[in-house]
Amino acid sequence: MRTRIFAFTLSIFLCAIARAELKWEQTSVELHPAPADKEAVGHFKYQNTGSQPVRFKSVHTSCGCTAAQSQKDEVPPGEKGEITATFKIGDRTGTQVKSVTVQTDDPVNATTVLTLKAVIPQQLEINPTFVFWGQGEALKPKSIVVRASKDFPVKQLKVTSSSPDFQTKVEETGNGQFKIDIQPSDTSRNMAATLTIQPEGSSKTFYAMARVTNAAATQ
Amino acid sequence: MRSSLVRQALLLAALAFIPGIGEAIYFRDKVSWQSPIPASEMVTQTQARAWRENTIWVDARPDAEFEREHIPGAVLLNEDRWNELLPQFLTVWSPEKRVVVYCSSQSCNASREVARRLRDEAQLKNVFVLQGGWEEWLKSRK
Repeated sequence: MRTRIFAFTLSIFLCAIARAELKWEQTSVELHPAPADKEAVGHFKYQNTGSQPVRFKSVHTSCGCTAAQSQKDEVPPGEKGEITATFKIGDRTGTQVKSVTVQTDDPVNATTVLTLKAVIPQQLEINPTFVFWGQGEALKPKSIVVRASKDFPVKQLKVTSSSPDFQTKVEETGNGQFKIDIQPSDTSRNMAATLTIQPEGSSKTFYAMARVTNAAATQ
Repeated sequence: MRSSLVRQALLLAALAFIPGIGEAIYFRDKVSWQSPIPASEMVTQTQARAWRENTIWVDARPDAEFEREHIPGAVLLNEDRWNELLPQFLTVWSPEKRVVVYCSSQSCNASREVARRLRDEAQLKNVFVLQGGWEEWLKSRK
Protein backbone atom coordinates (compact mmCIF):
# COMPACT_ATOMS: atom_id res chain seq x y z
CA MET A 1 0.00 0.00 0.00
CA ARG A 2 2.82 2.38 0.92
CA THR A 3 4.52 1.64 -2.44
CA ARG A 4 1.31 2.50 -4.31
CA ILE A 5 0.97 5.80 -2.51
CA PHE A 6 4.61 6.58 -3.29
CA ALA A 7 4.17 5.68 -6.97
CA PHE A 8 1.03 7.80 -7.22
CA THR A 9 2.69 10.81 -5.56
CA LEU A 10 5.78 10.41 -7.74
CA SER A 11 3.71 10.27 -10.96
CA ILE A 12 1.86 13.45 -9.98
CA PHE A 13 5.16 15.15 -9.15
CA LEU A 14 6.72 14.06 -12.47
CA CYS A 15 3.68 15.23 -14.38
CA ALA A 16 3.93 18.59 -12.68
CA ILE A 17 7.59 19.16 -13.47
CA ALA A 18 7.75 17.48 -16.87
CA ARG A 19 5.40 19.86 -18.60
CA ALA A 20 5.55 21.91 -21.74
CA GLU A 21 4.80 25.58 -21.54
CA LEU A 22 4.89 28.17 -24.26
CA LYS A 23 5.22 31.71 -22.86
CA TRP A 24 4.33 34.55 -25.20
CA GLU A 25 6.17 37.86 -24.93
CA GLN A 26 3.01 39.58 -26.16
CA THR A 27 -0.25 38.32 -27.61
CA SER A 28 -1.30 41.59 -29.18
CA VAL A 29 0.61 43.94 -31.44
CA GLU A 30 -0.41 47.38 -32.67
CA LEU A 31 1.10 48.60 -35.92
CA HIS A 32 1.04 52.03 -37.53
CA PRO A 33 1.97 51.55 -41.18
CA ALA A 34 2.96 54.54 -43.33
CA PRO A 35 0.47 55.66 -46.02
CA ALA A 36 2.56 54.08 -48.81
CA ASP A 37 3.08 50.71 -47.04
CA LYS A 38 1.63 47.68 -48.78
CA GLU A 39 1.74 45.37 -45.77
CA ALA A 40 2.12 45.41 -41.99
CA VAL A 41 4.10 42.70 -40.24
CA GLY A 42 3.61 41.70 -36.60
CA HIS A 43 6.07 39.54 -34.67
CA PHE A 44 4.78 37.43 -31.80
CA LYS A 45 7.72 36.09 -29.80
CA TYR A 46 7.55 33.06 -27.55
CA GLN A 47 9.73 30.82 -25.41
CA ASN A 48 9.22 27.28 -24.24
CA THR A 49 9.73 27.63 -20.49
CA GLY A 50 8.74 24.03 -19.78
CA SER A 51 10.82 20.87 -19.79
CA GLN A 52 9.01 19.18 -22.69
CA PRO A 53 8.98 20.11 -26.37
CA VAL A 54 5.91 21.95 -27.68
CA ARG A 55 4.50 21.10 -31.10
CA PHE A 56 2.45 23.51 -33.20
CA LYS A 57 -0.70 21.79 -34.40
CA SER A 58 -2.11 24.63 -36.48
CA VAL A 59 -1.85 28.37 -37.11
CA HIS A 60 -5.03 29.94 -38.53
CA THR A 61 -5.79 33.55 -39.42
CA SER A 62 -9.17 35.26 -39.26
CA CYS A 63 -8.88 36.78 -42.72
CA GLY A 64 -7.57 35.84 -46.15
CA CYS A 65 -5.70 39.16 -46.02
CA THR A 66 -3.41 37.91 -43.24
CA ALA A 67 -0.80 35.18 -43.54
CA ALA A 68 0.83 33.72 -40.43
CA GLN A 69 3.96 31.67 -40.35
CA SER A 70 5.69 29.76 -37.60
CA GLN A 71 9.48 29.48 -37.75
CA LYS A 72 9.40 25.88 -36.59
CA ASP A 73 7.01 23.00 -36.06
CA GLU A 74 8.44 21.97 -32.70
CA VAL A 75 9.97 24.11 -29.96
CA PRO A 76 12.47 22.30 -27.70
CA PRO A 77 12.58 23.28 -23.99
CA GLY A 78 14.21 26.67 -23.41
CA GLU A 79 14.11 27.67 -27.06
CA LYS A 80 12.73 30.93 -28.39
CA GLY A 81 10.99 31.67 -31.63
CA GLU A 82 8.30 33.79 -33.20
CA ILE A 83 5.17 33.69 -35.28
CA THR A 84 5.08 36.26 -38.03
CA ALA A 85 1.74 37.65 -39.13
CA THR A 86 1.73 39.57 -42.40
CA PHE A 87 -1.31 41.70 -43.03
CA LYS A 88 -1.89 42.76 -46.64
CA ILE A 89 -3.16 46.33 -46.44
CA GLY A 90 -4.52 46.52 -49.98
CA ASP A 91 -7.10 49.31 -50.19
CA ARG A 92 -8.21 48.96 -46.58
CA THR A 93 -8.59 52.03 -44.39
CA GLY A 94 -8.99 52.82 -40.70
CA THR A 95 -8.34 50.44 -37.82
CA GLN A 96 -8.12 46.80 -38.78
CA VAL A 97 -8.04 44.03 -36.18
CA LYS A 98 -7.02 40.55 -37.34
CA SER A 99 -6.48 37.47 -35.23
CA VAL A 100 -4.18 34.48 -35.47
CA THR A 101 -5.25 31.32 -33.64
CA VAL A 102 -2.36 29.10 -32.62
CA GLN A 103 -2.97 25.53 -31.47
CA THR A 104 -0.25 23.53 -29.76
CA ASP A 105 0.02 20.31 -27.78
CA ASP A 106 0.84 22.38 -24.68
CA PRO A 107 -1.75 21.16 -22.16
CA VAL A 108 -1.65 24.45 -20.22
CA ASN A 109 -2.30 26.73 -23.19
CA ALA A 110 -3.53 24.57 -26.04
CA THR A 111 -5.03 27.54 -27.89
CA THR A 112 -3.66 31.06 -28.00
CA VAL A 113 -5.28 33.90 -29.92
CA LEU A 114 -2.82 36.52 -31.15
CA THR A 115 -4.20 39.91 -32.17
CA LEU A 116 -2.76 42.15 -34.82
CA LYS A 117 -4.11 45.67 -34.87
CA ALA A 118 -3.15 47.89 -37.79
CA VAL A 119 -4.06 51.56 -37.73
CA ILE A 120 -4.05 52.59 -41.38
CA PRO A 121 -3.84 56.35 -41.82
CA GLN A 122 -6.67 57.84 -43.79
CA GLN A 123 -5.32 60.83 -45.70
CA LEU A 124 -8.59 61.80 -47.28
CA GLU A 125 -12.19 61.21 -46.31
CA ILE A 126 -14.37 61.20 -49.44
CA ASN A 127 -18.10 61.44 -48.98
CA PRO A 128 -19.75 59.90 -50.96
CA THR A 129 -17.40 57.98 -53.25
CA PHE A 130 -20.21 57.51 -55.79
CA VAL A 131 -22.78 59.83 -57.33
CA PHE A 132 -25.37 58.87 -59.90
CA TRP A 133 -28.20 60.27 -61.99
CA GLY A 134 -31.26 58.45 -63.26
CA GLN A 135 -32.31 58.43 -66.90
CA GLY A 136 -33.72 61.81 -67.86
CA GLU A 137 -32.92 63.37 -64.48
CA ALA A 138 -32.34 67.14 -64.39
CA LEU A 139 -28.83 68.12 -65.45
CA LYS A 140 -27.86 69.44 -62.03
CA PRO A 141 -24.39 68.93 -60.56
CA LYS A 142 -23.92 66.60 -57.59
CA SER A 143 -21.25 67.14 -54.96
CA ILE A 144 -18.60 65.09 -53.25
CA VAL A 145 -17.01 66.44 -50.07
CA VAL A 146 -13.32 65.70 -49.49
CA ARG A 147 -11.86 66.21 -46.04
CA ALA A 148 -8.12 66.02 -45.43
CA SER A 149 -6.83 64.45 -42.22
CA LYS A 150 -5.10 66.77 -39.72
CA ASP A 151 -1.95 64.66 -40.01
CA PHE A 152 -1.83 65.08 -43.80
CA PRO A 153 -2.81 68.67 -44.61
CA VAL A 154 -3.74 69.24 -48.24
CA LYS A 155 -3.44 72.64 -49.90
CA GLN A 156 -4.63 71.70 -53.36
CA LEU A 157 -6.62 68.93 -54.95
CA LYS A 158 -6.47 67.88 -58.58
CA VAL A 159 -9.49 66.00 -59.94
CA THR A 160 -9.50 64.29 -63.32
CA SER A 161 -12.49 62.61 -64.96
CA SER A 162 -11.88 59.51 -67.10
CA SER A 163 -14.70 60.56 -69.42
CA PRO A 164 -15.39 63.93 -71.11
CA ASP A 165 -19.08 63.21 -70.38
CA PHE A 166 -18.53 64.30 -66.78
CA GLN A 167 -17.07 67.70 -65.90
CA THR A 168 -15.67 68.45 -62.46
CA LYS A 169 -15.10 71.66 -60.49
CA VAL A 170 -13.07 71.75 -57.26
CA GLU A 171 -13.70 74.37 -54.62
CA GLU A 172 -11.83 74.76 -51.33
CA THR A 173 -14.29 75.33 -48.53
CA GLY A 174 -11.75 75.84 -45.71
CA ASN A 175 -10.44 73.76 -42.79
CA GLY A 176 -8.82 71.28 -45.16
CA GLN A 177 -12.11 70.60 -46.85
CA PHE A 178 -12.95 70.63 -50.57
CA LYS A 179 -16.13 70.32 -52.59
CA ILE A 180 -16.11 68.62 -55.98
CA ASP A 181 -19.07 69.38 -58.21
CA ILE A 182 -19.73 66.81 -60.91
CA GLN A 183 -21.83 67.63 -63.92
CA PRO A 184 -22.86 65.07 -66.55
CA SER A 185 -23.24 66.31 -70.14
CA ASP A 186 -26.36 64.22 -70.67
CA THR A 187 -28.69 62.02 -68.61
CA SER A 188 -30.49 60.31 -71.47
CA ARG A 189 -27.99 57.47 -71.83
CA ASN A 190 -26.03 55.10 -69.61
CA MET A 191 -22.50 56.42 -68.99
CA ALA A 192 -19.87 56.35 -66.29
CA ALA A 193 -16.58 57.93 -65.23
CA THR A 194 -13.89 57.32 -62.67
CA LEU A 195 -12.74 60.49 -60.95
CA THR A 196 -9.09 60.50 -59.95
CA ILE A 197 -8.44 62.65 -56.90
CA GLN A 198 -4.82 63.62 -56.39
CA PRO A 199 -3.83 65.69 -53.35
CA GLU A 200 -0.88 67.96 -54.01
CA GLY A 201 2.38 66.55 -52.70
CA SER A 202 0.97 63.07 -52.04
CA SER A 203 1.99 59.91 -53.85
CA LYS A 204 -1.36 58.33 -53.08
CA THR A 205 -4.27 58.58 -55.50
CA PHE A 206 -7.92 58.41 -54.46
CA TYR A 207 -10.98 57.59 -56.51
CA ALA A 208 -14.67 58.40 -56.80
CA MET A 209 -17.21 57.30 -59.39
CA ALA A 210 -19.98 59.03 -61.32
CA ARG A 211 -22.63 57.32 -63.40
CA VAL A 212 -25.87 57.83 -65.28
CA THR A 213 -27.94 54.68 -64.70
CA ASN A 214 -30.80 53.14 -66.64
CA ALA A 215 -33.18 53.54 -63.72
CA ALA A 216 -34.63 56.62 -62.05
CA ALA A 217 -32.36 57.98 -59.32
CA THR A 218 -33.52 58.26 -55.72
CA GLN A 219 -30.40 59.95 -54.33
CA MET B 1 -35.44 20.60 4.64
CA ARG B 2 -36.91 22.14 1.45
CA SER B 3 -36.25 25.73 2.60
CA SER B 4 -32.66 24.77 3.39
CA LEU B 5 -32.23 23.44 -0.17
CA VAL B 6 -33.70 26.63 -1.65
CA ARG B 7 -31.42 28.72 0.58
CA GLN B 8 -28.39 26.75 -0.58
CA ALA B 9 -29.40 27.05 -4.23
CA LEU B 10 -29.84 30.81 -3.86
CA LEU B 11 -26.50 31.09 -2.09
CA LEU B 12 -24.76 29.18 -4.89
CA ALA B 13 -26.47 31.33 -7.54
CA ALA B 14 -25.40 34.49 -5.69
CA LEU B 15 -21.82 33.22 -5.44
CA ALA B 16 -21.77 32.48 -9.17
CA PHE B 17 -23.19 35.93 -9.89
CA ILE B 18 -20.28 37.80 -8.24
CA PRO B 19 -17.51 36.68 -10.65
CA GLY B 20 -20.00 37.04 -13.49
CA ILE B 21 -20.55 40.73 -12.70
CA GLY B 22 -16.79 41.20 -12.23
CA GLU B 23 -16.10 39.71 -15.65
CA ALA B 24 -18.81 41.79 -17.30
CA ILE B 25 -17.26 44.97 -15.85
CA TYR B 26 -13.66 43.98 -16.63
CA PHE B 27 -14.38 42.85 -20.19
CA ARG B 28 -17.07 45.43 -20.93
CA ASP B 29 -15.20 46.61 -24.06
CA LYS B 30 -14.30 43.14 -25.21
CA VAL B 31 -17.49 41.17 -24.93
CA SER B 32 -19.97 41.70 -27.70
CA TRP B 33 -23.50 41.65 -26.32
CA GLN B 34 -25.03 42.28 -29.70
CA SER B 35 -24.47 40.91 -33.15
CA PRO B 36 -22.16 43.31 -35.03
CA ILE B 37 -24.68 43.43 -37.86
CA PRO B 38 -28.33 44.29 -37.29
CA ALA B 39 -30.64 41.44 -38.33
CA SER B 40 -32.19 43.70 -40.97
CA GLU B 41 -28.87 43.83 -42.82
CA MET B 42 -28.41 40.05 -42.91
CA VAL B 43 -30.12 37.90 -45.46
CA THR B 44 -30.57 34.16 -45.81
CA GLN B 45 -29.86 32.30 -49.02
CA THR B 46 -33.56 31.55 -49.47
CA GLN B 47 -34.48 35.24 -49.22
CA ALA B 48 -31.72 36.33 -51.58
CA ARG B 49 -32.58 33.65 -54.15
CA ALA B 50 -36.23 34.75 -54.04
CA TRP B 51 -35.19 38.22 -55.30
CA ARG B 52 -33.98 36.45 -58.48
CA GLU B 53 -32.56 38.80 -61.11
CA ASN B 54 -32.89 41.74 -58.73
CA THR B 55 -29.95 40.40 -56.71
CA ILE B 56 -26.36 41.38 -57.37
CA TRP B 57 -24.10 38.81 -55.69
CA VAL B 58 -20.84 40.33 -54.47
CA ASP B 59 -17.92 38.09 -53.63
CA ALA B 60 -15.73 39.73 -50.94
CA ARG B 61 -13.17 36.90 -50.79
CA PRO B 62 -9.59 37.23 -52.10
CA ASP B 63 -9.06 36.97 -55.89
CA ALA B 64 -7.72 33.39 -55.81
CA GLU B 65 -10.78 32.05 -53.96
CA PHE B 66 -13.12 33.85 -56.36
CA GLU B 67 -11.24 32.45 -59.36
CA ARG B 68 -11.48 28.91 -57.95
CA GLU B 69 -15.27 29.07 -57.71
CA HIS B 70 -17.99 31.56 -56.93
CA ILE B 71 -21.77 32.00 -56.97
CA PRO B 72 -22.82 32.13 -60.63
CA GLY B 73 -22.96 35.72 -61.83
CA ALA B 74 -21.20 37.10 -58.74
CA VAL B 75 -19.04 40.23 -59.03
CA LEU B 76 -15.65 40.31 -57.32
CA LEU B 77 -15.25 43.19 -54.85
CA ASN B 78 -12.68 42.81 -52.10
CA GLU B 79 -10.69 45.27 -50.03
CA ASP B 80 -7.36 44.08 -51.46
CA ARG B 81 -8.21 45.88 -54.72
CA TRP B 82 -11.16 48.03 -53.69
CA ASN B 83 -10.25 51.07 -55.82
CA GLU B 84 -9.86 48.94 -58.93
CA LEU B 85 -12.88 46.67 -58.41
CA LEU B 86 -15.45 49.21 -57.21
CA PRO B 87 -15.90 50.87 -60.66
CA GLN B 88 -16.48 47.40 -62.19
CA PHE B 89 -19.13 46.66 -59.59
CA LEU B 90 -20.80 50.04 -60.08
CA THR B 91 -21.23 49.43 -63.80
CA VAL B 92 -23.53 46.47 -63.03
CA TRP B 93 -25.21 48.16 -60.06
CA SER B 94 -28.62 49.70 -60.46
CA PRO B 95 -30.73 51.52 -57.80
CA GLU B 96 -33.58 49.01 -57.87
CA LYS B 97 -31.27 46.02 -57.27
CA ARG B 98 -30.39 44.41 -53.96
CA VAL B 99 -26.74 43.78 -53.22
CA VAL B 100 -25.86 40.58 -51.33
CA VAL B 101 -22.26 40.35 -50.13
CA TYR B 102 -20.65 37.08 -49.05
CA CYS B 103 -17.28 35.80 -47.86
CA SER B 104 -16.00 32.33 -46.93
CA SER B 105 -18.12 31.50 -43.88
CA GLN B 106 -20.28 32.83 -41.08
CA SER B 107 -17.19 33.83 -39.08
CA CYS B 108 -15.38 35.80 -41.78
CA ASN B 109 -15.50 39.56 -41.63
CA ALA B 110 -14.78 40.58 -45.22
CA SER B 111 -18.43 40.62 -46.33
CA ARG B 112 -19.39 42.86 -43.38
CA GLU B 113 -16.59 45.30 -44.20
CA VAL B 114 -17.42 45.41 -47.91
CA ALA B 115 -21.13 45.90 -47.13
CA ARG B 116 -20.27 48.65 -44.64
CA ARG B 117 -18.11 50.49 -47.19
CA LEU B 118 -20.80 50.23 -49.86
CA ARG B 119 -23.34 51.69 -47.43
CA ASP B 120 -21.15 54.35 -45.78
CA GLU B 121 -18.72 55.40 -48.50
CA ALA B 122 -20.67 54.82 -51.72
CA GLN B 123 -23.97 55.49 -49.88
CA LEU B 124 -25.79 52.61 -51.54
CA LYS B 125 -29.06 51.34 -50.16
CA ASN B 126 -30.27 47.73 -50.03
CA VAL B 127 -26.91 46.20 -49.21
CA PHE B 128 -27.07 42.89 -47.29
CA VAL B 129 -24.68 40.28 -45.92
CA LEU B 130 -25.33 36.64 -46.77
CA GLN B 131 -25.73 34.47 -43.68
CA GLY B 132 -23.22 31.63 -43.62
CA GLY B 133 -21.40 32.90 -46.72
CA TRP B 134 -19.89 30.67 -49.37
CA GLU B 135 -19.71 27.70 -46.96
CA GLU B 136 -23.49 27.74 -46.59
CA TRP B 137 -23.96 28.10 -50.36
CA LEU B 138 -21.87 24.98 -50.91
CA LYS B 139 -23.94 23.04 -48.35
CA SER B 140 -27.19 23.94 -50.08
CA ARG B 141 -25.79 22.74 -53.39
CA LYS B 142 -25.18 19.21 -52.07
